[in-house]
Amino acid sequence: MSVFLAVLWKDLLAEWRSRERVVAMLLFSLLVVLVFHFSLPEGATRRQAEQAPGLLWVAYLFAALLGLNRAFALELENDALSGLALAPADRGFVFLGKAAANFVIFFGVEVAIAAVFGLVFDLDLAPAAAGLAGLLALGTLGICTVGTLFAAVAVRTRFREVMLPLLILPLLIPVLAASVRATTSLLAGGGLPWDALQLLLVTDGIYLVVSFLGFEYVLDE
Amino acid sequence: MSGPALSARGLEKRFGRSPALRGIDLEVAEGAALALLGPNGAGKSTLLRLAAGLARPSGGSLQVAGLRAGLPGARARVGLVAHATFLYPELTARENLIFAGRLHGLADPAARADALLEEEGLAAVAGRPARGFSRGMAQRLAIARGLVHDPALLLLDEPFAGLDPRAAGRLAERLAGLRRAGRTLVLVTHDPGLALRLADAAVVLARGRIACELRGPELSEAALARASALAADAAA
Repeated sequence: MSVFLAVLWKDLLAEWRSRERVVAMLLFSLLVVLVFHFSLPEGATRRQAEQAPGLLWVAYLFAALLGLNRAFALELENDALSGLALAPADRGFVFLGKAAANFVIFFGVEVAIAAVFGLVFDLDLAPAAAGLAGLLALGTLGICTVGTLFAAVAVRTRFREVMLPLLILPLLIPVLAASVRATTSLLAGGGLPWDALQLLLVTDGIYLVVSFLGFEYVLDE
Repeated sequence: MSGPALSARGLEKRFGRSPALRGIDLEVAEGAALALLGPNGAGKSTLLRLAAGLARPSGGSLQVAGLRAGLPGARARVGLVAHATFLYPELTARENLIFAGRLHGLADPAARADALLEEEGLAAVAGRPARGFSRGMAQRLAIARGLVHDPALLLLDEPFAGLDPRAAGRLAERLAGLRRAGRTLVLVTHDPGLALRLADAAVVLARGRIACELRGPELSEAALARASALAADAAA
């Protein structure tokens, strides 16, 4: 547990000092939202409303890829990743700390993006805010678990910026599909569909367990 | 605790098809100090990283105090000072040590960090981010990081690199003190004089094999220099 808390504290402190990932993710996703807005035909308000959940989650996914690509950059300098691997505990707790830090950072960025998205696409997200926050948490958990594992795999490869999307995008399809479906239903005033929530919960659970167990081998040279 | 501090039997390590270590048999008793010498690429750093649990052997066995190297219990007994410092540039010197202490589950990592900063002569820069540190300061902080959990076995990979004479002298004294306190040291160095001063045994590696082992009266600067030269010739 101390390893989990130590890694979480260290990652959040380092991000607070540099603000490197938060700023990059915010600016990038803001641009993505604006590109989506201007690429849609004028006056297509109804269609925009229908497409909004999909666009929102695609923006999240792009931002997450950017953030995940930088998640282990901190560990590359001075071979700090080896320093983490020296901790006398199950290395799964290092994974949990990194994933939790990613979760906190990504969730904060996503809330900010949702607010901008609502303004740009003229959507009133306030009535669905609580449900949307819960959904964001579940979707972000899925992205952060498998994303953190494969970010650690990709960071030691030569083409890590290319490798990471190739590795994780196929695995994130269930998370994306369930999140978009649930968000669409939520914004249409229909509540959260149980089948989409089930898919998210099961996917999150599997990814969490597999990533926790698999991280031991990722940290080995 | 059971068995020697470090024990290798038929230890092999391959990177792809390239062998880095071939059939290493080695034993380091508790409280002993072993110097590892040999030309670049001989496998010295690989042996240290295997002992620290950063990589798995391809064959044979490697144990730390009777535990398989790499198990959490074995990692708890080992401190590693490697070529890289393992430091986070965004964190201050004190925060880096507190973080390392927390990784090792220390009850009061802040107090330990303060004590180590004092011992390494870094107390005045404790609040400065490690990014601005000179090579020598970073190396001293890396040494403090390696000692944060007071390990029974300290693995040092050319720890004197980048240190000025004063800091090097202080480190030599520090290592001698650790030996007096019963700690086991395994030290990689290219300097036979240093090996002679700090170690009671020396192993010269060449192309992943033990080329020569010197202990007790056999251990002299001339013998070490001769063995190192032979190993370098074998590696060429």
